[in-house]
Amino acid sequence: MNIKDQKEFPVDSAQLKEVRNFARGLFDQVPEFEDNREELVLALAEAAQNIVKHAYSGQPSGDTMRVEIEYQDKVLTMELFDKGKPVIPENIKPRKLSDIKAGGLGTFFIGQIMDEVVFKTNKEDWVNHLILTKRF
Amino acid sequence: MTYQVTEENNISTVFLNGEIDMDVTDKAKDVILPLIEAGKEVHINLKDVEYMDSSGISVLIESHQKAMELGTKVTLKEISKSVLKVIMMAKLEQILNLD
Repeated sequence: MNIKDQKEFPVDSAQLKEVRNFARGLFDQVPEFEDNREELVLALAEAAQNIVKHAYSGQPSGDTMRVEIEYQDKVLTMELFDKGKPVIPENIKPRKLSDIKAGGLGTFFIGQIMDEVVFKTNKEDWVNHLILTKRF
Repeated sequence: MTYQVTEENNISTVFLNGEIDMDVTDKAKDVILPLIEAGKEVHINLKDVEYMDSSGISVLIESHQKAMELGTKVTLKEISKSVLKVIMMAKLEQILNLD
């Protein structure tokens, strides 16, 4: 089963549920995702949350973010695009396991769930381009 | 997210319901933290929480830390499978009080 779809969402914390539901609707079509569907949803939602929280500092902007999801040949690719503050990959640090605090936890979750996390800045019309990959 | 608070034997139980993400963390904190600040022991019942992300986990961490600071206790009750998975992914099962 291969899937491919994309959608744009307003950059707004109230839209995070819509991002999750978009992903769930697609993931439900893939039997291989049955056991870890919600983990995959979490990874995507954490990335979307980082856009709202960090790329836009939680401020309303009227901008949208684009989410693209593709599953082909047993590889899941989730891509997020935004026009917020440019991400400096070197500055993104997941939480240390010894820290009892929430900062960096979302990035830590993404790293735990996905096989590969890549930031790109070369996509036309967008500032940040995040690619999350998991192989099945 | 919706919630309900009950009181019994000086323990406040907060029943959270639905999906807990960045959009509702302030609402969750506004319910839980004043109870802790009032010196009450707080139980957070998570049986009807279907989804929790890092923002929701941050509420649990902040509640736990605030309770320790004020000499009271927060216990997580009837944790749903999906929330437990996230708590364990965050390696917090030995830190937070789980029941």
